[in-house]
Amino acid sequence: MKNILDFLIKVGKLKEKKRRGWVLRNVKNPETIADHTFRMAMMSWLLGEQRKLNINKIIKMSLIHDLCEVYSEDITPYDKLLPKDKRQWKEMFNKWPRLPKKEKEKIFLEKYKKENEALEKLILKLPPPLKKEIRNLWIDYEEGLTREGRFVRQVDRVENLLQALQYWKKGKQFAIESWWIQIEELVDDPILLEFIKVLDKKFHQK
Amino acid sequence: MSEIKKFYLTSEGFEKIKKEYKNLKDLRLLKIRGEVPKIWQSEDLNPEYLSFREDLSFLESRIAELEYIFKNVELIKPPSKEKQNIVNLGATVGVEVEGQRDEFKIIGPLEANPSLGKISNESPVGRALLGHRVGDEVIVSSPVKTIYKIKKIRYLS
Repeated sequence: MKNILDFLIKVGKLKEKKRRGWVLRNVKNPETIADHTFRMAMMSWLLGEQRKLNINKIIKMSLIHDLCEVYSEDITPYDKLLPKDKRQWKEMFNKWPRLPKKEKEKIFLEKYKKENEALEKLILKLPPPLKKEIRNLWIDYEEGLTREGRFVRQVDRVENLLQALQYWKKGKQFAIESWWIQIEELVDDPILLEFIKVLDKKFHQK
Repeated sequence: MSEIKKFYLTSEGFEKIKKEYKNLKDLRLLKIRGEVPKIWQSEDLNPEYLSFREDLSFLESRIAELEYIFKNVELIKPPSKEKQNIVNLGATVGVEVEGQRDEFKIIGPLEANPSLGKISNESPVGRALLGHRVGDEVIVSSPVKTIYKIKKIRYLS
């Protein structure tokens, strides 16, 4: 029990850790990693029902998908490209970053390694069955091994799009285009594509 | 799983799921016999095993899902030489988007990984690129209109 309590205290840090993408864009009082995780779990459940997925699994997967960020950084696709001069950042965020294939593979592997190590450190003292379950759910999510893994990975991006649209609608302090461009390349799940159309209607069409 | 759907896989992807299928069948057999598979005590657990350990019916459903994939699988093969100038499944497509270069491999949903440039043929961009040639400008319209200029198409044999 003590190890579970220690784990929960560490996980509680995610209630305070702001999502870096918003911090970089100077969004005032942005959501935390726990905020994102909460709505993502809800979204996985509600939309996953329509895909007849294993709901127990996708909710757990959503809950654990960013746990590694207790120790690792919240990595964004722009990190390697940000110029030193912060005045140039705004322009950089207007476009979805494009990288050569080798660079993509390098970033993917580096991120995977860092996050895997952070997760291992976090779950180290959990009872073995829980430790194994969290580890395996995370691998499934990261690698998209099952229908559930592939679905939750896409829900992560769709929840991010929803949040971006909400901030954008409120303050218009950043360009929304790059979110739409990436989502059209990342998402292929029919239910999520249908949901994205609803987002378009809600936020863009008068 | 009521609609009949083709599952497009590379031969590498096909080998991977054949292996998973064999493992799951072995696991089911052990479970029916009431034996605890040694693999569960291993630290190198495959995620599949753990997800199914509590629930035989879910194990059965995954086996059925894989069998359904086998029945409807279509291996991705490079097209004939004269059609290699057209984007089809398995093509690696060099594009220019918003003044930047990028490269996508168009692949089935089971193997897609956009972080590595592997785009699903069922994503809006994957779908839009199919059937086009070098020099074409493909427009993808979400609320944002994005133009993908096709610069290069190649197939690995």
